[in-house]
Amino acid sequence: MQLQANHLHFAYLPEKTVLDDISLLIDPGETLYILGRNGSGKTTLLSCLAGLLEPASGEVLLDGASLQSFDPAERARRVGLIPQMHTPAFGYTVNEMVMMGRAPYLGWLGSPNHEDQSIVDEALAQLGLFELRDRPYTEISGGEQQLVLIARGLAQKCQLLLMDEPTAHLDLSNQHRILEIVSQLADRGLSFAISSHSPNNALSYADRVLLLASGKVTAYGNPMETLTEPMLSAIYGIRTEVLTNGDGKPLAVISQRPMALEPTALRDPQSPLGQIFARSQQEPQLILVTGLSGVGKTTWCTQLISLARKAGLSVNGLLSPSIFKDGRKVGIEVVDLHSSDHRQLASLREDETASMQTPRWVFDSDAMAWANQTLSDSGKADLTVIDELGPLEFAQSKGLTAGLVKLDSGDYRVAAVVIRSALLPQALSRWPNAIIVNGSAKNLS
Amino acid sequence: MPSTEAPTRLKQTITGLALALLPVILFILALLLGRYPIGPLDVGRSLLSPIFPQLGADIPDVARRLVLRVRLPRALAALLIGASYGGTGAAFQAIFKNPLVDSNILGVTSGAGFGAALALLLLQSQWQVQIFAFAFGLLAVGLAFFGSRLYKSSPLLVLTLMGILVGSLFGSLTALLKYMADPLDTLPAITFWLLGSLSAVTWSNLPTLVIITLLGLAFLWLIRWRLNVLSLGDAEARALGINPTRAKLWIIIASTLMTAAAVSVSGVIGWIGLVIPHAGRLLVGPNHKRLMPASILLGAAFLLLIDNIARTLLPGEIPLGVLTGLVGVPVLAFLLRHGRTG
Repeated sequence: MQLQANHLHFAYLPEKTVLDDISLLIDPGETLYILGRNGSGKTTLLSCLAGLLEPASGEVLLDGASLQSFDPAERARRVGLIPQMHTPAFGYTVNEMVMMGRAPYLGWLGSPNHEDQSIVDEALAQLGLFELRDRPYTEISGGEQQLVLIARGLAQKCQLLLMDEPTAHLDLSNQHRILEIVSQLADRGLSFAISSHSPNNALSYADRVLLLASGKVTAYGNPMETLTEPMLSAIYGIRTEVLTNGDGKPLAVISQRPMALEPTALRDPQSPLGQIFARSQQEPQLILVTGLSGVGKTTWCTQLISLARKAGLSVNGLLSPSIFKDGRKVGIEVVDLHSSDHRQLASLREDETASMQTPRWVFDSDAMAWANQTLSDSGKADLTVIDELGPLEFAQSKGLTAGLVKLDSGDYRVAAVVIRSALLPQALSRWPNAIIVNGSAKNLS
Repeated sequence: MPSTEAPTRLKQTITGLALALLPVILFILALLLGRYPIGPLDVGRSLLSPIFPQLGADIPDVARRLVLRVRLPRALAALLIGASYGGTGAAFQAIFKNPLVDSNILGVTSGAGFGAALALLLLQSQWQVQIFAFAFGLLAVGLAFFGSRLYKSSPLLVLTLMGILVGSLFGSLTALLKYMADPLDTLPAITFWLLGSLSAVTWSNLPTLVIITLLGLAFLWLIRWRLNVLSLGDAEARALGINPTRAKLWIIIASTLMTAAAVSVSGVIGWIGLVIPHAGRLLVGPNHKRLMPASILLGAAFLLLIDNIARTLLPGEIPLGVLTGLVGVPVLAFLLRHGRTG
């Protein structure tokens, strides 16, 4: 059986689109993996494919016939869904759980008979569950529970099984066991659509991969084409690395930690930092200096700036050190690194009656305009520092917008941009090749 | 087939037989027991006397009338009402995916209690009390149901909340009626009704109860296997080809009619719908194919037992609501401690 989805749109609330123009195809015996971050719409997509949710527009076709034209029982005889693992309220036995797969074949008032029992027995035997059949489902292991739900799909005699994160919470051995069984069932012609958080499982087992980000298809195709470093970095918002064997065949995906670079390494041309500056002769290099608030991101930049100046490199951009009074941060200053001019950018809101919704900092709009003007007037220096780009810039296009323009246009050689960790996904989807550096003062010698 | 099959089958058969015999024994006991001693033979002959008048010839008229007009309708009511509470309790626990609810969760009992109090205050006749209790029980659930329709999200949760709200609303209204009632005459009548009793049951109360209960039990019996699927939650039920919204609506309608019919005859009797399905799960497991009949039979047996105690333990009648609580609480505590109820 072939399942085809054309231009699916779905929204739980009219103003909040969950699925946006999704098209896909699953051929008989094929396994489709759906990857995406939490909340990207994977579960909603599976529910639409199973016919549990009706798309706002677009259609799902089973062998060319619209899914909505089937009544619920007819649909359930073709498409099965294994939802995310949950514990049922009552401890049905394994046999009883698998028997529920016969529901679409029994009338409203029907109860299963011997024929149904022999179909269930066969499904249990096929997955090696026969010995467990009188055990309560609630008391067997997570891997066995997942197998029971697959057996239920077999008893349902559907041709396409949709699985929502089947390997979540499972150890490596159980993941392997489940996915090998899925693969063998696929060899016999059963199709699968599996949502997953594991690009590695997709690399090993998928025929096709669909990368989902905020309800949109980022990439769709075979695993080799879709599971690439820039694609994965963009959808997960972290730097990833695809490890390959000698022939360039991808083997595994790993996430990279932020680099621990010491600004002093600038003196050594062989060091990673030295190499970044060397590469900047060919193309712009963007360093995102990140870390929790107060770890010393600005200090890290200050060190880099003074070392760069000592090495005779030109520096421009903006630095925004804090203003302290009686050991308390009371304001933010902005310094033009080219001219060393500085202005007070923000002061602490002293109004005690201010509600929680109002920001803690009151920004001086003249100083902000001056800072933006300085940044857009600055030319291409060896090192450009922008401290910092925050939610104001990314979410509301306010604040240091000239910084975004400068980075987007590539008007720099090496740019060191201070950014808080929470904004990294947004920054990486904007500049997928950025280098992420841990701006912790701990790394400073 | 492995060898474990045969003993399991045998055990199931024995449990089933015991469950089926229990209400029968307690029913016979209900006819034999009472303040006025009547021998088993006389009871048997009294029962047959409407068909074979010559059998009742040498029995005192009081004994014959006691068996036929008092003990028999009362035992039948206990049997039906107990079965109704057991069955609807199991059905509600399944569709609410919660082993701690019964058919009162949507406010039917509170509504019926208010209706009965209103009738006792204003009208005072027995059949009017029954009609008012029945109608207000349905009204309460109707209010809860349509109130929950105002909200789109998580319908089951909102429905439960609405049931609790409507229940407490009618609880307050009943308290108001009690406050207004004559403390020497009407107030005791209302209070006694709210504690539940079968002492006033006569043949005239039975027709609606019999029809609604038997039809309702037949419906619950027929859909009993589907309750398994419904208890997995809406998404899974839908994925297995069932329309959970429609199925639940029918179950709620049937159970509410049954409960309202039961309450309108017996007054408020708690605990049976809550405790009996747990006892059933302990005996036959959670599969509703067996749990539904087990809950029906156990419910019938439990209320017959309670009513037998209520009639005979003390010279005066003990309200059923008092006894079900006294027996029900320890049973529930014991089951929660030791039971493998899922």
